[in-house]
Amino acid sequence: MTADEPSPPEGAVSKAPIHLRPAKEKDIPTIVPLLLRLKRLNEEFDPLLKVRDDAEAQARQVLAQQIADPKAVVLAAEGIGPDIGKVVGFVRAIVRERPFYAPEHEGVILDIYLLPLYRRRGVGEYLLAETSSALKAKGAAVVTAEFPAQNEIASRFYAKRGFRPVTSIHARSL
Amino acid sequence: MTESTAAPEAPPRAGRRKPRAPASSVDRRREDATDALGRRAVELSRFYAGKVETVPRVPVRSLADFALWYTPGVAEVSRAIHRDPELAFELTGRWNTVAIVTDGSRVLGLGDIGPAAALPVMEGKALLFKFLGGVDAVPVPIRVSSPDQLLSTVEAMAPAFGGINLEDIASPKCFGILEELTKRLDIPVWHDDQLGTAAATVAGLLNALALTDRTVRGIRTVLFGAGAANLATARLLLALGHDPRTLSLVDRDGILHAERDDVDELSVRNPWKYRLALKTNGGGRTGDFAAAIDGADVLIAASTPTPGSIRPEAVRAMARHPIVFALANPDPEIWPETARAAGAAIVATGRSDFPNQVNNSLVFPAVFRGVLDARARSIPDEVVLVAARALARGAERRGLSVHHILPTMEEPEVFPEVAAAVGDASVRLGIARHRLSHEEFLERAQRRMGRSAKLVRALARAGLTAPMPRGATGDRRAP
Repeated sequence: MTADEPSPPEGAVSKAPIHLRPAKEKDIPTIVPLLLRLKRLNEEFDPLLKVRDDAEAQARQVLAQQIADPKAVVLAAEGIGPDIGKVVGFVRAIVRERPFYAPEHEGVILDIYLLPLYRRRGVGEYLLAETSSALKAKGAAVVTAEFPAQNEIASRFYAKRGFRPVTSIHARSL
Repeated sequence: MTESTAAPEAPPRAGRRKPRAPASSVDRRREDATDALGRRAVELSRFYAGKVETVPRVPVRSLADFALWYTPGVAEVSRAIHRDPELAFELTGRWNTVAIVTDGSRVLGLGDIGPAAALPVMEGKALLFKFLGGVDAVPVPIRVSSPDQLLSTVEAMAPAFGGINLEDIASPKCFGILEELTKRLDIPVWHDDQLGTAAATVAGLLNALALTDRTVRGIRTVLFGAGAANLATARLLLALGHDPRTLSLVDRDGILHAERDDVDELSVRNPWKYRLALKTNGGGRTGDFAAAIDGADVLIAASTPTPGSIRPEAVRAMARHPIVFALANPDPEIWPETARAAGAAIVATGRSDFPNQVNNSLVFPAVFRGVLDARARSIPDEVVLVAARALARGAERRGLSVHHILPTMEEPEVFPEVAAAVGDASVRLGIARHRLSHEEFLERAQRRMGRSAKLVRALARAGLTAPMPRGATGDRRAP
């Protein structure tokens, strides 16, 4: 994505009741609570995803860093109509280098979050499409998504859109 | 019989009721009376050693008759059912037999006390089923370690039964269990803590609204407590046309709304509550109970029994002619006299010692009588609403008043009418195997319900049930 005013891809997704734009420094206070909601949701899926006590401060710092980082994509989803100007969701993604595999650059979607009332209305589709093209613009030739293994809704969401499991991360406490 | 009508979100700790703040002398008297009933119940349970037993339906003139009732004659009956499984409803007692299934995970207000300790409650339920509904109900508390195990166990035993009554299963797992069993089985499945309570609540509410010149469509309602009963009540109210935007659920974390902090967590742990979080409370009210109750027409509290958890100020903050249902058992969230003093026009509780008892015993015997006589395959919400409406109409027979929005247990003429309405609805919805007319349903229900009362009297007259002993029974046993 290159402009402040991204044009939604063709099709039903343009009906999405949001307006997507690159996040700015000033959005951090409104995105942090959304990011924490997502992390707390992840906590439901596995005790090894327990949210740290200082997660809020961490979120502020990481967001500030990545909003400034040319290799990262942070998008803010704003409501439209009565919710105009309200940030109702966000995306956080990075371009990662793959030293041993081709294609060399991988766009990794780290977080996608939408407030519940904005879900299931084609918004996720729109977010994914916009994020993918933003990552592509930064050199990524493959897009991946990270989410808790037990999150079946996310699994289904990505599977429906042509994603398949490539790498598994397995964990145990030490 | 006052059944537990309230299903709190988190069960109170098992065991004795917790000590509470200094109570009034009235409260203390009520508590003493409850304790006395408890002692007497233990004594009588020891004396009678069980509340129901198997009684033959057929004559046995001599042992030779067993060649018919049992082998070799019975083999032909088995062959017939093997050829046509539906014949089980004709040739055996399956048509009238219901399993009362519990895992003991949320028994009355006692919490997770396990299946063995749940048995006396299930026996009591079986007695109600028989006495009020003419239904042969079998208590089946089962020891299971997961909802999946419960599902497969009930599925495995379904061939013996014409219906399944789920009882005292903790929220939120009870919702998934009911949904899944309804899908898997072709006999009616009911969870009384959800549907029985919700149907009785809706019935009372319809009459309360009629008395105060309101309808479901125009009101603002607050549901206090978001357990099995109130989530089902919310669903039924929405099905009746209640505007979701003017319906608010409140639990211990305040008003349930789409942007509450725990809403994503709910999407995983309790999707039923999650869906209501998204749908209800359209004004976007946030905050605590006080924020919700301001200007509400109706309050339905079905929460953890803590008297005083609803203050008179809350009732005073409601719209004109407030309707207050305080359904926690044994102690309502606010005592009726307190609610009325604060301006409540109509008050209902879960107790039989106050007017307007919201009692699931008004519902489940009649609903099962109806679905069993129709040999229905399920009990959809439409049927539950038909039962609620029939119950509401039943209260009109003896005249509606602020003290009589529901029939009492002393108005047994209402039960066959509810059963017949349920039978009719099953036929209309195409889920009845037995498509009888209204008159046939009514006549069968009257006969079968009436037979139970006769049976109990006849057994007592013949000395086959021991008379209720007076006073302490010591170690005596009924014969």
